[in-house]
Amino acid sequence: MNKMMRRYVPFMKAGIQTLITYRLNFLGFVIGGLIYCFVMFYLWRSVFESNGGGMFLGFSMTDMVIFLFLSNTTGQLIFSSVGEQIGEEIRDGSITMRLLKPVNTDLSYLFAELGEVLMKVIVLLIPMVLGLEIYRFCVTGTLVFNPVNFLWYLLSAALAYLISFRVNLCFGFIAFYVKNLWGIGILKNSVIGFLSGSLIPLAFMPEGLRVCLEYLPFASMNYTPVMLYMGKYAAWEILFRIGLQIVWALLLFGLSKLIWFGAIKKLCIQGG
Amino acid sequence: MRRIWKIYRLLAAQNLKRLMEYRADFLTGAVSFLIDQAVGIAFIFIIFTQIPQLAGFTFEQVLFIYGFSQIPKGLDHLLSDNLWCVGYFIVRKGDFDKYLIRPINPLFHVIAETFQIDAMGELIVGIGLLIYASPNAGLHISVWTVLLSIIAVPFAALIYTSLKIMTAALAFWIKSSGFIIQMVYGMNEFAKYPTTIYSLPVRILVTYIIPFAFTGYYLSLYLLTGSDPWFSIGGVILVSCVLFAISLFVWKKGISAYESAGA
Repeated sequence: MNKMMRRYVPFMKAGIQTLITYRLNFLGFVIGGLIYCFVMFYLWRSVFESNGGGMFLGFSMTDMVIFLFLSNTTGQLIFSSVGEQIGEEIRDGSITMRLLKPVNTDLSYLFAELGEVLMKVIVLLIPMVLGLEIYRFCVTGTLVFNPVNFLWYLLSAALAYLISFRVNLCFGFIAFYVKNLWGIGILKNSVIGFLSGSLIPLAFMPEGLRVCLEYLPFASMNYTPVMLYMGKYAAWEILFRIGLQIVWALLLFGLSKLIWFGAIKKLCIQGG
Repeated sequence: MRRIWKIYRLLAAQNLKRLMEYRADFLTGAVSFLIDQAVGIAFIFIIFTQIPQLAGFTFEQVLFIYGFSQIPKGLDHLLSDNLWCVGYFIVRKGDFDKYLIRPINPLFHVIAETFQIDAMGELIVGIGLLIYASPNAGLHISVWTVLLSIIAVPFAALIYTSLKIMTAALAFWIKSSGFIIQMVYGMNEFAKYPTTIYSLPVRILVTYIIPFAFTGYYLSLYLLTGSDPWFSIGGVILVSCVLFAISLFVWKKGISAYESAGA
């Protein structure tokens, strides 16, 4: 264990460094996300007003605000660009340097990203949760923050990140065939955004679609942790959802390994 | 003028050849933006299963506003996508030198260099929504409203382009301004929905400071109500020309401040 940490902690430090170096670009994306949240906030406020106030399909306006901002933050936390990175390294040949190192390739990517995630928890998640709870306190007049739910959220978000990492790894193999990484990135974000319920709560979707999406891995990537934070699940359902996340994490782990071993045998780098 | 047109055609032809070479890329790009749009529209559908009207607008009217807002956005995306690259890396890597040593206007060269076909996603959705929503949106169709609205579209696209020129030009001073383009451009989200749903400070922001409201809502409102052309059509022309003038000024200042980076 100790040996392993010694081996991978430098990757984590490198990840933190990367985020600090590109902090302005990171800030741009955070602010872009917040703008989107505010547009949605006004849209929902207008929807609630047109609906005569009160509840909308089991959500109050306060719920909606928490949902919007927390799913956006969760989206930032679980964001993984490992697929694009592998595609890039294959193209310029630098992946050979990684393969030569006496480390597990997956883990070296994972730890580099974990460094970024750690920074995001400190600079994004904590201020966001504080802000949301202050907002909720101002609106409802009582302190509703539930530390148990928050712990469930953290556990579930960690699993969500692992799933997102594996999904991205699988997605990244498309980069072997297509050069338009920018287009693929947009495609990935909007498809995952929709399927994961982070744009529209799954609870608002037609029954059949909702049930399907709840079982797909995408809901595990964002919707599950946010719902856990909001305390929308009963006790047995919490365990069921977390269990489902674990199952998906394992399945996708297997799938990405399978693709990786298939691809690595065919790896052929031209020039460099 | 003729020379400029000829150069533009040559550069655009090069772009099209590149597209034919990487057909799969072109498809992924266009499909990606199409799906991105589909999600936005699905959202409106789901809202309207529960409520009859949003801030006084019917389902078709909201779709109309949404669709209209995508056309100037797509037009700008089609023609001036290379400005993103100026902000993100062309200046930082010192590659901007190439634009300065050629006998054509650098800004024109930057813009003419890329013909971004991904924008078809936005244009197809925008036009599709207008066709779908028009019959039931209660439009005031007359020669004037239609003609003025069509004239206004390029000016609305110019608002996007000007904001991009201005923010991309900041890279001449700070090397990489991609994140600033991202932030300012991101405000176009506000253009997709009726501006009346926002609170007063936001409305002032998107009308007078980063005037995306003119690229969608105000223009649609003119077609929907037939009133106030001076504010909507006149507004978009005035605002876009003023912004464009400012952006040219910033760009010019920027180029004289540009120092090539060693690579």
